Amino acid sequence: MLANPASGRLAAVLRSIQSGTSPLGAAAHSPNVIASGARGRRGMSLATNPAAQPLMLYTAGTPNGRKVSIMLEELKAMYGLDYDVHPINLGANEQKEPWFLALNPNGRIPALVDRNRKDFVVFESAAILLYLAQRYDTQRKFGFEPSEDEYSRMIQWMFFAHGGIGPMQGQLNHFARFAPVDIPYAKARYLDETKRLYGVLDIRLSDRDWLAGPDNGTYSIADMNALPWVFGHQFGGIETLDEWLNVKAWVERCSQRPAVRAGLQVP
Amino acid sequence: MSQKHFTLYSHAGGPNGWKVTYLLNELGLEYETKYLNSQKGEHKAPEFLKINPNGRLPALVDHKNGDFAVWESAAILIYLTDKYDTEKKFTFTEGNEKYELLQWLFFQMSGQGPYFGQGFWFTFFHPEKVPSAVERYQNEAKRVLGVLESVLSKKEWLVGGKVTIADIAFVPWNNSLKGLLGADFDFEKEFPATAKWHDKIINLPGVKAGIEEKARLAQQ
Repeated sequence: MLANPASGRLAAVLRSIQSGTSPLGAAAHSPNVIASGARGRRGMSLATNPAAQPLMLYTAGTPNGRKVSIMLEELKAMYGLDYDVHPINLGANEQKEPWFLALNPNGRIPALVDRNRKDFVVFESAAILLYLAQRYDTQRKFGFEPSEDEYSRMIQWMFFAHGGIGPMQGQLNHFARFAPVDIPYAKARYLDETKRLYGVLDIRLSDRDWLAGPDNGTYSIADMNALPWVFGHQFGGIETLDEWLNVKAWVERCSQRPAVRAGLQVP
Repeated sequence: MSQKHFTLYSHAGGPNGWKVTYLLNELGLEYETKYLNSQKGEHKAPEFLKINPNGRLPALVDHKNGDFAVWESAAILIYLTDKYDTEKKFTFTEGNEKYELLQWLFFQMSGQGPYFGQGFWFTFFHPEKVPSAVERYQNEAKRVLGVLESVLSKKEWLVGGKVTIADIAFVPWNNSLKGLLGADFDFEKEFPATAKWHDKIINLPGVKAGIEEKARLAQQ
């Protein structure tokens, strides 16, 4: 499916991830993958299932889902906080079923349920990242104090990715892969815009290692928020990142983190 | 003439700068707006790219914070309420409501904005008619309105029982529905709770003043 992956370490990472994933979940990757369907739904509350983890992630193998699984893997590595995964079958439109709409009226993944806090639900991947950072990243390894200007910069780059890269690259993927009618103009429009957005990232990363944070930057949820989309550049037809060498280096830097590699394989 | 607290770089015709205008008005903050001419490429000029490397509007410069620049309209709303909404009138900064607010802001910024925006592009600005693209985005706009309706038919405001920046963020695009969905589109009939909610917000004094300013500029 992927042509000409990049050379070197990044290629090795890509190959290992691509060979391991399947649309309906790779239970082998995580012992906490709950079966989808009725059995999974009954496992929701701690009261009925004492072995359940405090956090439950409803997700699928898409960039937005993986933003959150990456953060959860980081929290697991840093604090030993574990989580359950409930894969949602997008092909069967499971995300539009009434039980899921009760969690997220928008009917999209990911959604997080916090059983530590009376089954509080958060949807919108970037909002989930902020929730996890504020509630569970007690040592502030992946974010900043809300009163700091650095926090605002992190938020700006998060909206940039969430409202820019995500939807525009998403439209590229739609018109390149899924649209019933072939519309060359639309493919070109969203390809151009995605490339323009990568160019903006490239400028940002020209003099720093990470999107947010003082000086050289600090790895944060701003990076996790953008990475899975950029990582998936080939899906919409952007063959390599060679045009944006700073972005390419950043992707490689992120991919060296075990939690990133693990998170990109969930579910 | 002394400099105002903020300079707001905005676009008179576009939707996103107005969210910030509404909030600045509601908070009674002092600002000067510079409307950039996108047809002349002012939003891509080097001086502006220093403020917003993405070259889009709005961007806000806070002259009382070392000329700190904020871009992405929702990020600006969060910055303003975090720093200057001292009574926390339009936001929540703790508790579950804080995250519900963020959630709705991210939904507006990625679910409403870009999709209504593509709808407008293919309806009004693209030189050729591409019916399937227009239909795709019109359908998605209706789906988004349906999501809002499912929530607003059960509660008055999106978060915590009061009007917040989450509600305000949806206004500019929802004000353009007849343009996107056609003159026959009946907001009140098809999405009654959402239309009622929208009507309440546009009658807040600061929001109303912004809407009137936009209409005035459109006539120039």
